[in-house]
Amino acid sequence: MREQILSALSQYGSPALFGVVTLAAVGIPLPVTLLLIVTGSLVSQGIMSLWWAVGLAGLGSVIGDQVGYAIGRWGGSGLVNRFSRLLGGEERLKRTQAKARHWGGPGVFFSRWLVTPLGPWVNLASGIAGYPWLRFLFWDVLGEFLGVFIFVTIGRVFSDRVLAMDALLGDMSWAIVALLAAVAIGWKLIKS
Amino acid sequence: MDCESRQPVRVRYIGVIGFMSRRKLILIAALILAIAGTLVFGNKIRRHIRRMRWENEPIRAWMSVPFIAHTHHVRPDILYQAIRVEPRQHDRRPIRNLARAENRPVADVMHDLEKAIADARQGP
Repeated sequence: MREQILSALSQYGSPALFGVVTLAAVGIPLPVTLLLIVTGSLVSQGIMSLWWAVGLAGLGSVIGDQVGYAIGRWGGSGLVNRFSRLLGGEERLKRTQAKARHWGGPGVFFSRWLVTPLGPWVNLASGIAGYPWLRFLFWDVLGEFLGVFIFVTIGRVFSDRVLAMDALLGDMSWAIVALLAAVAIGWKLIKS
Repeated sequence: MDCESRQPVRVRYIGVIGFMSRRKLILIAALILAIAGTLVFGNKIRRHIRRMRWENEPIRAWMSVPFIAHTHHVRPDILYQAIRVEPRQHDRRPIRNLARAENRPVADVMHDLEKAIADARQGP
Protein backbone atom coordinates (compact mmCIF):
# COMPACT_ATOMS: atom_id res chain seq x y z
CA MET A 1 0.00 0.00 0.00
CA ARG A 2 2.76 2.40 1.06
CA GLU A 3 4.71 1.71 -2.15
CA GLN A 4 1.63 2.28 -4.36
CA ILE A 5 0.79 5.57 -2.64
CA LEU A 6 4.32 6.89 -3.04
CA SER A 7 4.44 5.69 -6.66
CA ALA A 8 1.23 7.65 -7.27
CA LEU A 9 2.75 10.78 -5.68
CA SER A 10 5.93 10.37 -7.71
CA GLN A 11 3.96 9.94 -10.95
CA TYR A 12 0.84 12.14 -10.56
CA GLY A 13 1.96 14.71 -7.97
CA SER A 14 -0.70 17.07 -6.55
CA PRO A 15 -3.93 15.06 -7.19
CA ALA A 16 -2.43 12.02 -5.45
CA LEU A 17 -1.25 14.21 -2.56
CA PHE A 18 -4.72 15.73 -2.10
CA GLY A 19 -6.53 12.37 -2.24
CA VAL A 20 -4.23 10.60 0.21
CA VAL A 21 -4.14 13.35 2.87
CA THR A 22 -7.95 13.65 2.74
CA LEU A 23 -8.45 9.91 3.29
CA ALA A 24 -5.79 9.84 6.03
CA ALA A 25 -7.47 12.71 7.89
CA VAL A 26 -10.76 10.77 7.92
CA GLY A 27 -8.91 8.02 9.80
CA ILE A 28 -7.71 5.57 7.14
CA PRO A 29 -4.18 4.54 8.17
CA LEU A 30 -2.03 5.87 5.31
CA PRO A 31 1.62 7.00 5.47
CA VAL A 32 0.78 10.71 5.36
CA THR A 33 3.90 11.94 7.19
CA LEU A 34 6.18 10.18 4.71
CA LEU A 35 4.02 11.51 1.87
CA LEU A 36 4.50 15.10 3.08
CA ILE A 37 8.25 14.61 3.58
CA VAL A 38 8.58 13.19 0.04
CA THR A 39 6.50 16.15 -1.19
CA GLY A 40 9.06 18.45 0.47
CA SER A 41 11.84 16.59 -1.32
CA LEU A 42 9.99 17.01 -4.65
CA VAL A 43 9.61 20.72 -3.88
CA SER A 44 13.36 21.02 -3.26
CA GLN A 45 13.98 19.32 -6.62
CA GLY A 46 11.72 21.85 -8.35
CA ILE A 47 9.10 19.24 -9.32
CA MET A 48 6.33 20.78 -7.17
CA SER A 49 5.66 24.32 -5.97
CA LEU A 50 5.87 24.86 -2.19
CA TRP A 51 2.71 26.96 -1.76
CA TRP A 52 0.64 24.79 -4.09
CA ALA A 53 1.72 21.66 -2.18
CA VAL A 54 1.07 23.21 1.26
CA GLY A 55 -2.29 24.68 0.15
CA LEU A 56 -3.54 21.47 -1.40
CA ALA A 57 -2.37 19.16 1.40
CA GLY A 58 -3.73 21.57 4.05
CA LEU A 59 -7.10 21.78 2.32
CA GLY A 60 -7.32 17.99 1.92
CA SER A 61 -6.50 17.44 5.60
CA VAL A 62 -9.10 19.99 6.74
CA ILE A 63 -11.81 18.38 4.55
CA GLY A 64 -10.95 14.92 5.92
CA ASP A 65 -11.04 16.22 9.51
CA GLN A 66 -14.52 17.70 8.95
CA VAL A 67 -15.75 14.26 7.83
CA GLY A 68 -14.34 12.71 11.04
CA TYR A 69 -15.95 15.44 13.16
CA ALA A 70 -19.30 15.00 11.35
CA ILE A 71 -19.26 11.23 11.94
CA GLY A 72 -18.64 11.86 15.65
CA ARG A 73 -21.25 14.57 15.90
CA TRP A 74 -24.12 13.24 13.84
CA GLY A 75 -23.33 9.56 13.56
CA GLY A 76 -21.54 8.84 16.81
CA SER A 77 -23.28 11.03 19.37
CA GLY A 78 -26.62 9.25 18.91
CA LEU A 79 -24.97 5.94 19.59
CA VAL A 80 -23.02 7.29 22.57
CA ASN A 81 -26.15 8.87 24.07
CA ARG A 82 -28.07 5.62 23.74
CA PHE A 83 -25.26 3.65 25.38
CA SER A 84 -24.80 6.18 28.16
CA ARG A 85 -28.54 6.02 28.96
CA LEU A 86 -28.40 2.23 28.99
CA LEU A 87 -25.45 2.28 31.37
CA GLY A 88 -26.88 5.08 33.46
CA GLY A 89 -23.90 7.32 32.73
CA GLU A 90 -25.57 10.41 31.28
CA GLU A 91 -24.12 12.64 34.01
CA ARG A 92 -20.64 11.36 33.27
CA LEU A 93 -21.07 11.93 29.54
CA LYS A 94 -22.20 15.51 30.19
CA ARG A 95 -19.14 16.15 32.38
CA THR A 96 -16.85 14.73 29.62
CA GLN A 97 -18.56 16.89 27.01
CA ALA A 98 -18.03 19.99 29.17
CA LYS A 99 -14.33 19.11 29.58
CA ALA A 100 -13.89 18.56 25.83
CA ARG A 101 -15.49 21.95 25.12
CA HIS A 102 -13.12 23.59 27.61
CA TRP A 103 -9.86 21.91 26.44
CA GLY A 104 -10.93 21.13 22.88
CA GLY A 105 -9.10 23.92 21.02
CA PRO A 106 -5.50 23.19 22.07
CA GLY A 107 -6.26 19.46 21.83
CA VAL A 108 -7.34 19.85 18.21
CA PHE A 109 -4.41 22.16 17.42
CA PHE A 110 -1.61 19.98 18.84
CA SER A 111 -3.01 16.71 17.47
CA ARG A 112 -2.70 18.18 13.93
CA TRP A 113 1.08 18.40 13.99
CA LEU A 114 2.68 17.41 17.30
CA VAL A 115 0.93 14.13 18.18
CA THR A 116 -0.46 13.26 14.74
CA PRO A 117 -1.46 9.63 15.54
CA LEU A 118 -4.20 11.05 17.79
CA GLY A 119 -5.64 13.34 15.08
CA PRO A 120 -8.53 11.18 13.74
CA TRP A 121 -9.53 10.22 17.32
CA VAL A 122 -9.61 13.85 18.39
CA ASN A 123 -11.88 14.63 15.39
CA LEU A 124 -14.32 11.92 16.42
CA ALA A 125 -14.14 12.85 20.12
CA SER A 126 -14.74 16.54 19.32
CA GLY A 127 -17.82 15.63 17.29
CA ILE A 128 -19.16 13.28 19.98
CA ALA A 129 -18.53 15.87 22.71
CA GLY A 130 -20.41 18.48 20.67
CA TYR A 131 -17.44 20.85 20.50
CA PRO A 132 -18.65 23.92 18.54
CA TRP A 133 -17.97 23.36 14.83
CA LEU A 134 -16.67 26.86 14.04
CA ARG A 135 -14.15 26.70 16.88
CA PHE A 136 -13.13 23.19 15.75
CA LEU A 137 -12.68 24.49 12.20
CA PHE A 138 -10.56 27.43 13.42
CA TRP A 139 -8.12 25.27 15.41
CA ASP A 140 -8.15 22.61 12.70
CA VAL A 141 -7.20 25.01 9.88
CA LEU A 142 -4.50 26.59 12.06
CA GLY A 143 -3.02 23.24 13.11
CA GLU A 144 -3.27 21.46 9.75
CA PHE A 145 -1.66 24.20 7.67
CA LEU A 146 1.10 24.59 10.28
CA GLY A 147 1.60 20.80 10.36
CA VAL A 148 1.72 20.46 6.57
CA PHE A 149 4.16 23.38 6.36
CA ILE A 150 6.41 21.80 9.05
CA PHE A 151 6.54 18.35 7.40
CA VAL A 152 7.01 19.71 3.87
CA THR A 153 9.79 21.99 5.16
CA ILE A 154 11.47 19.03 6.91
CA GLY A 155 11.28 17.21 3.55
CA ARG A 156 12.86 20.19 1.79
CA VAL A 157 15.70 20.47 4.30
CA PHE A 158 16.36 16.71 4.48
CA SER A 159 15.44 16.05 0.86
CA ASP A 160 18.07 13.31 0.52
CA ARG A 161 17.03 11.52 3.74
CA VAL A 162 13.26 11.11 3.40
CA LEU A 163 12.90 7.50 4.60
CA ALA A 164 15.18 8.04 7.61
CA MET A 165 13.33 11.25 8.54
CA ASP A 166 9.97 9.48 8.34
CA ALA A 167 11.14 6.72 10.70
CA LEU A 168 12.61 9.30 13.07
CA LEU A 169 9.48 11.47 13.14
CA GLY A 170 7.21 8.45 13.64
CA ASP A 171 9.13 7.38 16.75
CA MET A 172 9.42 10.99 17.91
CA SER A 173 5.63 11.33 17.80
CA TRP A 174 5.17 8.23 19.99
CA ALA A 175 7.94 9.40 22.36
CA ILE A 176 6.04 12.69 22.81
CA VAL A 177 2.78 10.82 23.46
CA ALA A 178 4.51 8.62 26.08
CA LEU A 179 6.22 11.62 27.70
CA LEU A 180 2.97 13.61 27.89
CA ALA A 181 1.23 10.57 29.41
CA ALA A 182 4.04 10.23 31.99
CA VAL A 183 3.77 13.92 32.93
CA ALA A 184 -0.04 13.77 33.19
CA ILE A 185 -0.01 10.59 35.31
CA GLY A 186 2.81 11.95 37.49
CA TRP A 187 0.83 15.15 38.06
CA LYS A 188 -2.26 13.11 39.04
CA LEU A 189 -0.19 11.07 41.48
CA ILE A 190 1.25 14.19 43.11
CA LYS A 191 -2.18 15.76 43.43
CA SER A 192 -3.82 12.63 44.89
CA MET B 1 13.81 -8.49 72.18
CA ASP B 2 15.23 -8.77 68.67
CA CYS B 3 11.90 -10.00 67.32
CA GLU B 4 10.00 -7.17 68.97
CA SER B 5 12.30 -4.52 67.49
CA ARG B 6 11.68 -5.82 63.92
CA GLN B 7 7.92 -6.10 64.22
CA PRO B 8 6.93 -2.41 63.87
CA VAL B 9 8.99 -2.01 60.67
CA ARG B 10 7.19 -4.93 58.98
CA VAL B 11 3.81 -3.71 60.15
CA ARG B 12 4.55 -0.22 58.86
CA TYR B 13 5.65 -1.61 55.45
CA ILE B 14 2.49 -3.70 55.04
CA GLY B 15 0.54 -0.70 56.23
CA VAL B 16 1.87 1.52 53.45
CA ILE B 17 0.91 -0.99 50.73
CA GLY B 18 -2.44 -1.63 52.36
CA PHE B 19 -3.05 2.10 52.65
CA MET B 20 -2.46 2.63 48.91
CA SER B 21 -5.71 2.56 47.03
CA ARG B 22 -6.17 0.32 44.00
CA ARG B 23 -6.43 3.47 41.87
CA LYS B 24 -3.04 4.70 43.06
CA LEU B 25 -1.39 1.36 42.29
CA ILE B 26 -2.84 1.44 38.75
CA LEU B 27 -1.55 5.01 38.32
CA ILE B 28 1.95 3.98 39.45
CA ALA B 29 1.92 1.03 37.00
CA ALA B 30 0.75 3.36 34.19
CA LEU B 31 3.49 5.87 35.09
CA ILE B 32 6.17 3.14 34.89
CA LEU B 33 4.75 2.03 31.51
CA ALA B 34 4.72 5.61 30.16
CA ILE B 35 8.32 6.24 31.32
CA ALA B 36 9.40 2.92 29.75
CA GLY B 37 7.68 3.96 26.49
CA THR B 38 9.47 7.31 26.51
CA LEU B 39 12.83 5.60 27.04
CA VAL B 40 12.22 2.96 24.34
CA PHE B 41 11.17 5.51 21.70
CA GLY B 42 13.93 7.90 22.81
CA ASN B 43 16.47 5.14 22.22
CA LYS B 44 14.97 4.42 18.79
CA ILE B 45 15.30 8.14 17.90
CA ARG B 46 18.97 8.05 18.94
CA ARG B 47 19.55 5.03 16.66
CA HIS B 48 17.79 6.73 13.72
CA ILE B 49 20.01 9.80 14.09
CA ARG B 50 23.13 7.64 14.16
CA ARG B 51 21.93 5.71 11.07
CA MET B 52 21.15 8.96 9.23
CA ARG B 53 24.76 10.02 9.66
CA TRP B 54 26.40 6.81 8.45
CA GLU B 55 24.01 4.95 6.18
CA ASN B 56 22.77 5.71 2.67
CA GLU B 57 19.10 6.17 1.88
CA PRO B 58 17.77 2.83 0.57
CA ILE B 59 16.41 2.61 -2.98
CA ARG B 60 12.70 1.79 -3.23
CA ALA B 61 10.54 0.75 -6.20
CA TRP B 62 8.36 3.91 -5.92
CA MET B 63 11.31 6.23 -6.49
CA SER B 64 12.00 7.76 -9.90
CA VAL B 65 15.50 7.89 -11.36
CA PRO B 66 15.87 11.68 -10.82
CA PHE B 67 14.68 11.20 -7.22
CA ILE B 68 17.31 8.49 -6.59
CA ALA B 69 19.95 10.67 -8.26
CA HIS B 70 19.02 13.53 -5.91
CA THR B 71 19.05 11.42 -2.72
CA HIS B 72 22.40 9.83 -3.61
CA HIS B 73 24.06 12.94 -5.07
CA VAL B 74 24.89 11.45 -8.47
CA ARG B 75 24.00 12.62 -11.99
CA PRO B 76 20.73 11.12 -13.36
CA ASP B 77 22.31 10.27 -16.75
CA ILE B 78 24.74 7.86 -15.01
CA LEU B 79 21.78 5.99 -13.52
CA TYR B 80 19.80 5.91 -16.79
CA GLN B 81 22.88 4.53 -18.52
CA ALA B 82 23.29 1.84 -15.85
CA ILE B 83 19.74 0.54 -16.30
CA ARG B 84 19.79 1.06 -20.10
CA VAL B 85 16.70 3.31 -20.19
CA GLU B 86 16.27 6.40 -22.37
CA PRO B 87 15.94 9.49 -20.15
CA ARG B 88 12.88 11.74 -20.54
CA GLN B 89 12.44 15.37 -19.64
CA HIS B 90 10.72 15.75 -16.21
CA ASP B 91 10.76 11.97 -15.81
CA ARG B 92 8.55 10.92 -12.92
CA ARG B 93 8.22 7.22 -13.73
CA PRO B 94 8.82 5.02 -10.66
CA ILE B 95 11.50 2.38 -11.24
CA ARG B 96 8.83 -0.30 -10.79
CA ASN B 97 7.20 0.98 -14.00
CA LEU B 98 10.55 1.22 -15.77
CA ALA B 99 11.34 -2.40 -14.84
CA ARG B 100 7.92 -3.53 -16.06
CA ALA B 101 8.38 -1.70 -19.36
CA GLU B 102 11.80 -3.33 -19.79
CA ASN B 103 10.51 -6.78 -18.76
CA ARG B 104 13.00 -6.99 -15.94
CA PRO B 105 12.58 -7.79 -12.23
CA VAL B 106 12.57 -4.63 -10.07
CA ALA B 107 15.28 -6.16 -7.86
CA ASP B 108 17.62 -6.34 -10.87
CA VAL B 109 17.06 -2.69 -11.74
CA MET B 110 17.62 -1.69 -8.10
CA HIS B 111 20.82 -3.73 -8.00
CA ASP B 112 22.12 -2.00 -11.16
CA LEU B 113 21.32 1.39 -9.67
CA GLU B 114 23.10 0.57 -6.41
CA LYS B 115 26.16 -0.60 -8.34
CA ALA B 116 26.16 2.55 -10.50
CA ILE B 117 25.92 4.75 -7.38
CA ALA B 118 28.80 2.89 -5.71
CA ASP B 119 30.92 3.19 -8.90
CA ALA B 120 30.12 6.91 -9.28
CA ARG B 121 31.19 7.53 -5.68
CA GLN B 122 34.46 5.70 -6.11
CA GLY B 123 35.27 7.90 -9.12
CA PRO B 124 37.31 7.07 -12.20
